[in-house]
Amino acid sequence: MNLNLLSYLLFFPAMLAIAVWTAQVSHRHGRVWMLRIFDGEAAFVDAVNNVLLVGCYVVNAGYLAVVIGAWEPIADLPAMLAVLTRRIATILFLLAWLHYQNIAVLLIWSRIKHRRQPIPPQP
Amino acid sequence: MTNKIVLAYFIYLPLALGLTLYVARTLFRNGRVFMLDIFRGKADIADSTNRLFEVGFYLLNMGFALKVLEIRRGLDSNQELVEVLADKVGGFAIYLGVMLFLNLYLFFRGRRKSRENRPLPPAGALMTEATL
Repeated sequence: MNLNLLSYLLFFPAMLAIAVWTAQVSHRHGRVWMLRIFDGEAAFVDAVNNVLLVGCYVVNAGYLAVVIGAWEPIADLPAMLAVLTRRIATILFLLAWLHYQNIAVLLIWSRIKHRRQPIPPQP
Repeated sequence: MTNKIVLAYFIYLPLALGLTLYVARTLFRNGRVFMLDIFRGKADIADSTNRLFEVGFYLLNMGFALKVLEIRRGLDSNQELVEVLADKVGGFAIYLGVMLFLNLYLFFRGRRKSRENRPLPPAGALMTEATL
């Protein structure tokens, strides 16, 4: 089998699985933060959260496919392993960067919100 | 070689159109909440507006999917077929994602504008809430 095709076959499903998993974890655990930011309006928060999840899927899967479109020709097995690990590492770094970016947005937004409207003291 | 290009079109088209359908459905199923907020709970006008924007989203993005269909190079092997297809479908998916986030931003903006123009609730309502 063509080594380029083999590396696409290994790269795409594995990276897609990791991207989907990351998105789902963010979707599940980001909800609590969004409820904090949007005053506990559950219907609204779920709507936003679902749209963000699908946006995350589409953009991540699209980027993985574009990376495959720009792959260098591979001559032998050692070259394939080297290229594959480098590409996978890049994707993991990008996902991690996006993930921390998401966490930062939630933290900062929640902090701004609660500075503007302090929680009233409970009697 | 020509057959590979035709094959690529037949793979690209269902993928791109299906992706548009999936994204638009998710967006506008959840867009209803925003529209209800913007039109202050008037369900009929909220649903109609939502539907109109949904159809607009289909037309715009399916139009774009068709516009970028053409493959302007020869395809000599299966490897080239996979690479060109991945580039096309991936590029279109990223474009769709950008459109999705743009739409979400417009929803947020509409909601904020609608809230800014909303008159303040009568003082009595605040009083009862405070005394509860």
